[in-house]
Amino acid sequence: MKKLSIPALAMLFVACSPKAPATYSTANSVPTIFPDYTDITIPCNIAPLNFLIEEQADAFITVLKSTSVEIVIKGSEVRIPKSKWNKLTNAPEISVQIFGYTDKQWTAYKPFKMTISDEIDPYISYRIIPVAVEAYEKLSIHQRSLTSFKENVVFANTMVHNNSQGTCINCHYYRNWETDNMLFHVRQYKGGTVLVLNGELHKVNMKTDSTLSAGVYPAWHPTHDYIALSNNRTHQSVHAASHDKLEVLDDISDLILYDIKNNTVSVIENDSCELENYPAWSADGKKLYYVSYRYEGGYGDKRKNEMFLAREDFHFNLYSKSFDPDTRTWGPVVMEYDAAAVDSSITWPRVSPDGTKLLACISTHGVFPLDQIVSDYIMFDLTSGSYRHVDELNSPFAESYHTWSSNGKWIVFSTRREDGVHTRLYFSHIDENGRFSKPFALPQRDPEFNREFLYAFNIPEFMKEPVHISPRQFASFISSTEATRSKYESKREK
Amino acid sequence: MTVCENSYFHAFSNEKIGKNAIFGAISYMHAHAIIYMTHISKNKLEGLPRRLFKVLPYFLAVLLWVILATYGQYFLKKVEDLSIFMFDWQYFKEAIQIPGGFLGVAGSFFTQFLYLPWLGSLIWVFLLLTTYQLTVKAFKLSEIFKALAIIPVALFIIGNMSLGYGVFIMREQDHFFAPLLGYMAALIPLFAIRHIKTFGNKIILLVLWTAIGFPLFGTFALIGTLSASCVTLMNQEILRGKRLSILVVSIALIILIPLIAYNFFTSYRLADSWHLGLPTISEDVWTHAIRSPLQLALLFLPVMSLISSRFKENSKSSKSIIIQVSIYIISIAAVWIFWFKDDNFRTELAMSEAVDRFEWQKVIDIYQDAVNSHAKSDAKAYADRTAKLKGVKNQNTINEIVDSYNDRFFEPTRTMVIYRDLALLKMNRALDEAFTMKDGGRPQNSRTQIPMVFQSGKQLYLQYGLVNMSYRWCLEDVIEHSWSYSTLKYMAMHCIIMQESDFAYKYLNKLNKTIFYRNWAKEQMALSCDSALMSISKPYEEILPYMCFENRMSNDMMKSEKFLMQHFSEPEPPHATPEYDRAALLWAMRTQNIPLLWQRIIPYLISNNVSVLPRGVEEAAFLYSSLEKKGIELPYSKEVKDNYDAFNRYVNSNPIRNMKEAAYPYAQKFGNTFFYYYYFIRNLQTY
Repeated sequence: MKKLSIPALAMLFVACSPKAPATYSTANSVPTIFPDYTDITIPCNIAPLNFLIEEQADAFITVLKSTSVEIVIKGSEVRIPKSKWNKLTNAPEISVQIFGYTDKQWTAYKPFKMTISDEIDPYISYRIIPVAVEAYEKLSIHQRSLTSFKENVVFANTMVHNNSQGTCINCHYYRNWETDNMLFHVRQYKGGTVLVLNGELHKVNMKTDSTLSAGVYPAWHPTHDYIALSNNRTHQSVHAASHDKLEVLDDISDLILYDIKNNTVSVIENDSCELENYPAWSADGKKLYYVSYRYEGGYGDKRKNEMFLAREDFHFNLYSKSFDPDTRTWGPVVMEYDAAAVDSSITWPRVSPDGTKLLACISTHGVFPLDQIVSDYIMFDLTSGSYRHVDELNSPFAESYHTWSSNGKWIVFSTRREDGVHTRLYFSHIDENGRFSKPFALPQRDPEFNREFLYAFNIPEFMKEPVHISPRQFASFISSTEATRSKYESKREK
Repeated sequence: MTVCENSYFHAFSNEKIGKNAIFGAISYMHAHAIIYMTHISKNKLEGLPRRLFKVLPYFLAVLLWVILATYGQYFLKKVEDLSIFMFDWQYFKEAIQIPGGFLGVAGSFFTQFLYLPWLGSLIWVFLLLTTYQLTVKAFKLSEIFKALAIIPVALFIIGNMSLGYGVFIMREQDHFFAPLLGYMAALIPLFAIRHIKTFGNKIILLVLWTAIGFPLFGTFALIGTLSASCVTLMNQEILRGKRLSILVVSIALIILIPLIAYNFFTSYRLADSWHLGLPTISEDVWTHAIRSPLQLALLFLPVMSLISSRFKENSKSSKSIIIQVSIYIISIAAVWIFWFKDDNFRTELAMSEAVDRFEWQKVIDIYQDAVNSHAKSDAKAYADRTAKLKGVKNQNTINEIVDSYNDRFFEPTRTMVIYRDLALLKMNRALDEAFTMKDGGRPQNSRTQIPMVFQSGKQLYLQYGLVNMSYRWCLEDVIEHSWSYSTLKYMAMHCIIMQESDFAYKYLNKLNKTIFYRNWAKEQMALSCDSALMSISKPYEEILPYMCFENRMSNDMMKSEKFLMQHFSEPEPPHATPEYDRAALLWAMRTQNIPLLWQRIIPYLISNNVSVLPRGVEEAAFLYSSLEKKGIELPYSKEVKDNYDAFNRYVNSNPIRNMKEAAYPYAQKFGNTFFYYYYFIRNLQTY
């Protein structure tokens, strides 16, 4: 009986498996799917790209085909089994053909393809954050496997703060995409910069009597034990009636260098009239890029309000300073791009791992592109000095924080393109000519996730490996350890 | 007895049932108790108490339901409004990311029925009755000791009904049902352990219950474990060593399971592990206050587990009856004492609900009802105070006496006044009527002042066209407290008015997964895709005219009234609408700033094409002209001029020695004028 039933069941299963229709008419258009995964380039090790078909039809059949395998899936929600997906991606490209059933006949939509390309780092981490608010009751840094849908919390502020004393967490960063050396900041209650150095936990207070604040936006030196950070005094204000919800600005900001070995802080730039921000090292660590705007307004109580009024005049330029990591000495300031000259503002410079390209955000004004309606990407060729607006990445909404993968073949960036408000993570491949492929959304098990999820993704960073320290270890360490105060050291200049 | 019964039924026949009904019920109970203790003969003791105690819980349940569904309806609706339950996987996933989260989901499920206060309260009362019955069964209470089971029920009622303004700052919005369900869950191991005979199986039960129960029910599961072990401890049929072992194991489980669970959750501090599932308010003092009755209710379980054997046998002694009657009286009295019965709070809630429904006339009616219902008590307070002040010459003594009577006079809160002004503006009656109604700024009757922005910020800002501010406070509310139907609704309305349809879909889609807001969400989805239809639909058609100002950066510093004053004090927008100008003029009058009135009056006159000045404006302009000996020449009516003369004559003939003392007699004569507002309603504290 048993021997008979297994083949019978197998036959029944095969008989019930969906098949592509034999006869159908054709449509000239590519079907609308969410997320839009039509004609994209994807990493060979990415998790299944599940999607929803958003066409009007009574039934759907999707055929995903590569040289070695063919998968047929029934229904408007296309969830691809991981094992079959792995076989699909083991080929140069996947072709996707969707059939819709209406008026008792099948229609084949125009097929689209997914081109399989270079490997991507297996993990990313990001912060999950509510949009456009000052409160920070629930913030968490998550890590997500890109080869599967597995996601877990690296650390959540709810593990430390109590009912009356809040804790903010922000700006996680990894040295050379490796998690044995990483940092994030804890503000307010139990505050300090949490540094993981060769797997060991430390907590540092980088605020000194001679510097403005604790460290904020970090850039870990690629070869030496330094971290460049900005110092910021940040303010937020709400747009009373505009599609922009929030305006964020610093009324003062400087740059500092943190010497990990000696626990010292020295100034990189702290011109009282300049608002220096967003440090980024060149690939060899011999140059530091940053942005700055010259503001010569008054000081005192009114400064902040005056700056909010004048916010549309804030055009940040791109600068650099040479750096000798062995002697820790700085060269003069060099303007790399005069954004003000074209009534623009440049922010978030990030240099590619091979050191040939610098990708940055460009917007009409201000320092915080995330909260602008429109913020686009601009890319500089550091070998030729040329630059171009990266139209293939840009959308009508704000593109903001971005990171290069460790092999320099991919970027991940946060964008508001889906609904204009919630930032979502998108990936794009860069080819040998410096052209980016059409961006695609971080795959989710539930293809409708991005529409349903009411929080924003923030600060995506690639990682070669997951963070090994558990959330409980972080929580216990942060709760029980006082931050060590850094000492101030004067800057060395050539 | 007859008197008591009459007062009780009289209270119920009255539409304003609340306070009187409770008072009637208490009196009724009290009368019963006295009769039992003093007059009933010993012969009657055997039959009557048994019948009474059988019926009493059901009678009290019905009474409670009637009170909740009438007097308590606005509070219950607000509890529902600030909660959320969705048939949505992501909601469920997020909710269970904390031990006790399942309980929260279950609590929120029931809370949604408070949308219809009569239905939600019926469910709650039914669960309270079930709790009572389960407690009786769990401890096998004899007929005459069943009254003991009323104690946790009373504590749960106190836990909810003493909340008051705390409802606006609760961290979790499942608090109304969740603790009660948690208590019921904690009874499970108590029942189960009695049916398990072997020592080993008892241990297995405790381990399994704690390990599975803690993630689902949080602290309540631990209480269940403790209570079950206490029951076993008192079971003389089991060897002493085994009983002690079970106690030791259960204590170990209570310590260890939360420690182990902490490795699998990232949403709380380790130190909070042993009170997960209990409600939290963002103010620590308040949290302790709100948790106390619930903690007592939970403590009841292990304590009863230890002492319940004493209450298993029927006793017919009059002492026992007196004890039972006392328990009822104390429980009912405690509920009465701790029940938050603030008239202004209730009026605010009723007005808030009407604002949510854009029923502007109802907003005003509720306000006027509140004012009118205090007319007699105000007159009485005035008479008493006058008698007390008779012959007193010392100014300090006068001030002291006047201050001591302050609370006896009715005074609206700022929230009530601002809701009322909003409603009047929406009906284009504000400039005529706003200053004819009673005004004031009575502080909230609460442990700490809840910023008005938490209470009404999202409503006021949206209605005044400050849509991003409304959205911002919805989000702050979400982060500080939790998602709610209210925040989702207001966020969706913000997106619709800003014509951000993809964005609106996010919130409407969530509301579409609820029982009571599904239809609303569907209607709004249609509006979100059709801006023309939106612009002629409620409430948008009434909001859009206020959005004529130029965008600017703003921060209200959590003071919404002050912020609205500042907003409408900004220079006249180039394309100001008649609605905007009316609001700007009203707010200018509220500031009592004379130059600002002159600034606002001309644009108002032009844009509204006014032929006859509204009464409030005329009085303000006439008063300011008289004070400044200049101003704008307007066609002031004889009535206004005569009124002002009468006011001045009254001032001369009734010298004021204390403004608060003078307020009542002046209000009787001139309370419906701007003159009164200008002189008597000053230096109000905004919050």
